[in-house]
Amino acid sequence: MLSRVVLSAAATAAPSLKNAAFLGPGVLQATRTFHTGQPHLVPVPPLPEYGGKVRYGLIPEEFFQFLYPKTGPYVLGTGLILYALSKEIYVISAETFTALSVLGVMVYGIKKYGPFVADFADKLNEQKLAQLEEAKQASIQHIQNAIDTEKSQQALVQKRHYLFDVQRNNIAMALEVTYRERLYRVYKEVKNRLDYHISVQNMMRRKEQEHMINWVEKHVVQSISTQQEKETIAKCIADLKLLAKKAQAQPVM
Amino acid sequence: MNENLFASFIAPTILGLPAAVLIILFPPLLIPTSKYLINNRLITTQQWLIKLTSKQMMTMHNTKGRTWSLMLVSLIIFIATTNLLGLLPHSFTPTTQLSMNLAMAIPLWAGAVIMGFRSKIKNALAHFLPQGTPTPLIPMLVIIETISLLIQPMALAVRLTANITAGHLLMHLIGSATLAMSTINLPSTLITFTILILLTILEIAVALIQAYVFTLLVSLYLHDNT
Repeated sequence: MLSRVVLSAAATAAPSLKNAAFLGPGVLQATRTFHTGQPHLVPVPPLPEYGGKVRYGLIPEEFFQFLYPKTGPYVLGTGLILYALSKEIYVISAETFTALSVLGVMVYGIKKYGPFVADFADKLNEQKLAQLEEAKQASIQHIQNAIDTEKSQQALVQKRHYLFDVQRNNIAMALEVTYRERLYRVYKEVKNRLDYHISVQNMMRRKEQEHMINWVEKHVVQSISTQQEKETIAKCIADLKLLAKKAQAQPVM
Repeated sequence: MNENLFASFIAPTILGLPAAVLIILFPPLLIPTSKYLINNRLITTQQWLIKLTSKQMMTMHNTKGRTWSLMLVSLIIFIATTNLLGLLPHSFTPTTQLSMNLAMAIPLWAGAVIMGFRSKIKNALAHFLPQGTPTPLIPMLVIIETISLLIQPMALAVRLTANITAGHLLMHLIGSATLAMSTINLPSTLITFTILILLTILEIAVALIQAYVFTLLVSLYLHDNT
């Protein structure tokens, strides 16, 4: 601290040194000595969780324990108070009543709201600890979820061959279907062409037949000369007359 | 009786050295600091209280006003603890001394006002004239507002001093009345004693309220001027 006083005195004496103010901490650390003792090689022992026990908030328990073998501490207290009162070492004045009322109000307040405040403070601390615990648990849960996901992924990888089999089957079926379709189409095309040839042949034969019939008829008709035609017609008429006579006789039956 | 009544307000000295300095420096010993997360009950409740008051007080300020938060929170804690400690018997309350309250009020008020005049001079001057005043009244109103502004630090200091001093005096007087009655008439002693108890409860409330009022007003002046 004295070095700081020196520094400020130097700053007021020589204003140009003010620009060197940033050197101040460095100068301070050069003069103050740190780390003179042995460094702690082990962690410093932790603080005790609860302080020493105290009665009435003021007098430590050790005082009572110290006095118990010799004299009762309450008797000692009462004796001292009565001695001070009787010898007028402590004078009862207006202040006494003020003190009585203040202490009375304080004791009443502590008795009535003490446990409430203590529980409240404990609850605050517990909330802080619960928050940290929550963070820790959340982190653990997150990692656990990651582990489970990884395990399930690994299990799935073992069962991947089912997927591949199904896919393979699908593809084989699709190939089969395509093959059959094409086969059918080929068959239909071939049949089409063969049918065409057959129908062409049929048509040719029919045409030839008709042509032949026509030619035969034509020649037959041509070959029938007029003389033969007249004879044939006369014979037909004679036949018909004969038949007509025979026919007339029939309806009697 | 006269000497005895005001004896508790004399600044105490030990062999000529001012013990008032020690008394003023004592309250921070009752508010421990801790670098741990989980503390004992005292530190936990104190930290929770300080957090509550600081949040409650500093929400209405903007960023520039919040730079005063350390000042205001330490102010309210100091005044509250000093007032409450003064209720103990045979103790000295520094806030009963007008000198100390003036030393607290004038720099804070002056700081707020000068800050306001430096940064936003138009806004700061606008406080001198409330809105919607009829034109003939303006000169008089400006004078009144100026006086009202200049009287703020005195009001702050005198308010705190007067309240705490009056409370202490009343307690003393009623205490001595109880003392006098105890030799004459016992039931009226009990009545007077009841009055004293009620007064003590009031004093505790007043101690806290005065701290709050002081800090609130300073923060209000700050809000006007940021």
